[in-house]
Amino acid sequence: MSMRRRLLVWLLSSVLLGGFAAAAVVFYQARQQSTELFDYQLRQLALTLRDRDYSPSQLAEALQGQQDLDFVIQVWAPDGRLLYGTHQHLDIPAPEATGFADVTTRSGRWRVFSTWHRGLTIQVAQHKVAREALALGAALRTLAPFVLALPLMGFLIWRLVGREVRFLETTARAVALRSPESLEPIGGEAVPEEIQPLVDALNDLLGRLGGALAQQRQFIADAAHELRTPLTALRLQLQLAQRAKEPAERERALATLGEGITRATHVVEQLLAMARQDPAAQAMEKKPVDLDAVAREVVEAEAAFAEAMEVELRLDARFGGTVTGDRAALRTVIENLVDNAIRYGRQGAGPGSVVTVRAYRGGDRAILEVEDAGPGIPPEDRTRVFDRFYRGEAAAEGGSGLGLAIVHRIVERHGATVELSEASGGRGLLARIAFPLSPA
Amino acid sequence: MRLLLVEDDSMIGAAAQQGLRQEGHTVDWVRDGKEAELAVTDKVHDLVLLDLGLPRRDGLSLLREWRARGLAVPVVIITARDAVSDRIAGLDAGADDYLVKPFDLDELSARVRAVARRRAGRAESTLRLGELEIDTATKRVQWKGAEVALSAREYALLEALAGRPGAYLTRAQLEERLYGWDEEIASNAVEVHIHGLRRKLDPALIRNVRGLGYTLERPA
Repeated sequence: MSMRRRLLVWLLSSVLLGGFAAAAVVFYQARQQSTELFDYQLRQLALTLRDRDYSPSQLAEALQGQQDLDFVIQVWAPDGRLLYGTHQHLDIPAPEATGFADVTTRSGRWRVFSTWHRGLTIQVAQHKVAREALALGAALRTLAPFVLALPLMGFLIWRLVGREVRFLETTARAVALRSPESLEPIGGEAVPEEIQPLVDALNDLLGRLGGALAQQRQFIADAAHELRTPLTALRLQLQLAQRAKEPAERERALATLGEGITRATHVVEQLLAMARQDPAAQAMEKKPVDLDAVAREVVEAEAAFAEAMEVELRLDARFGGTVTGDRAALRTVIENLVDNAIRYGRQGAGPGSVVTVRAYRGGDRAILEVEDAGPGIPPEDRTRVFDRFYRGEAAAEGGSGLGLAIVHRIVERHGATVELSEASGGRGLLARIAFPLSPA
Repeated sequence: MRLLLVEDDSMIGAAAQQGLRQEGHTVDWVRDGKEAELAVTDKVHDLVLLDLGLPRRDGLSLLREWRARGLAVPVVIITARDAVSDRIAGLDAGADDYLVKPFDLDELSARVRAVARRRAGRAESTLRLGELEIDTATKRVQWKGAEVALSAREYALLEALAGRPGAYLTRAQLEERLYGWDEEIASNAVEVHIHGLRRKLDPALIRNVRGLGYTLERPA
């Protein structure tokens, strides 16, 4: 049911109910007052006749030709004889006592008032049906304003409700006009206080939605751009392989093509990992994770790569506790850091270069460190390397530009911090992640 | 032709260099903007293949600077930036052509030839000088209606001379056209290839004037 109709129904029925109650009271009171007024008239008439001290014949003379009078006037002798009556044929009996009384005769119901005067009984009677008809008429006339006012009020209520509801309607229309392409804030025109929080909340939501969408679009654009590089290499390498005339040449071309595919695969995997870490994509798992065990797993998994690159991989895991988070994501973090350390360590310090993975407790934090002896990252680049697709001047070949961005994203989602600094030996890179400890 | 390839990605660079060499071009490959800046000052290249997203110096600003300095070397942009606005910016900065990655090796060669042709003021890919006919697209040479088989270096030499008939090119200039920086040049290499051309075509076709260099006679 629409708000406007509901408001209208309730408001109108309240007004109607109130109006009827008021009308009923007014009607009852008007009738009561008419009755009192008629009684007063009755009494006044009787007392006037008494005070005038008319004899029955004088009275008959005074009231000559007043047969159409509403009132029946009778004068009774002390012996119960009717001395005078305005309406002879009426059968109202002599009163038993003075004052007001209701009398029912064959000619109908009567309201009578009688008084004594020098042995005579003066009785004035009025037809009750006539009285009530008059009282009803008077009372009904008091209801006229209500009859006029109710439709007017209904109309005003309709308009007022409509005007207030219009803000909701315009807001709803404004929301309906929003699409992923246009998420500008709603409003501009004055909105009632009560609707303002709704508009604010909507605008806040639109803002965040727009931000998330922009981020997604940027990511897709970046990803498309970033995928073109390995794809270009693949295409060229494939063409060279097709052109090769001698088996040895073709063999070489195919080997390069294989390397190209490995690299393209790596880029795609990193893109997927990045997309999975999008806060808008899904909620993060929150379980206790044994940091030492994850570090050990990664070192074991990277051992073959380190050996192939002639880099010595060392593990020093003595944290002995857990951090809260997503085990697979944390593994990705350590993998990316170790992978980078091996590549750059080899590049910067040649064969025999050392990469160390450490996990330990530092105050109220769990610390994970990966240290290499590579070329390091100049201080001015140390925050920018966490940007997606940023690749420093000394960036290694074949990187996706996403590894550290993924690390940053995951670390953020774990409420942890990551910082890069110069390694202890005065050269190389030290990546340090500080996690909050799991609640005991 | 001698080409300067400016590309930071080693896989693309290596493959493009190899592919263009197979087409008979001499290809010098640099990996960043600063190196490219140095390389063009030599003015030995007939055409530059320029990537835009370069370390140390952005390709677009590099190109603008070259044009501002009056360097007229033809430039073909090869980039992953495919937005229309990027293409417009690239062409307006002074590029002769714009090729979006991933591209085809054959297309790259065709565009290189097309740009070279336009720069030489020619509309078609065949060079005709009297009885000599050179198809720059297929690299086939005909002399008096008969096809002549030339080695890649002989062809490159002939194309260089035929590109500017009547003009004298010194041995050093020809060597620059034939050999990249990283290639060993035998001291008599140019003479050897000229000899091969004279033998296969006509001894009188290429003239050598001491002190001036070599020239291909403009047909009367």
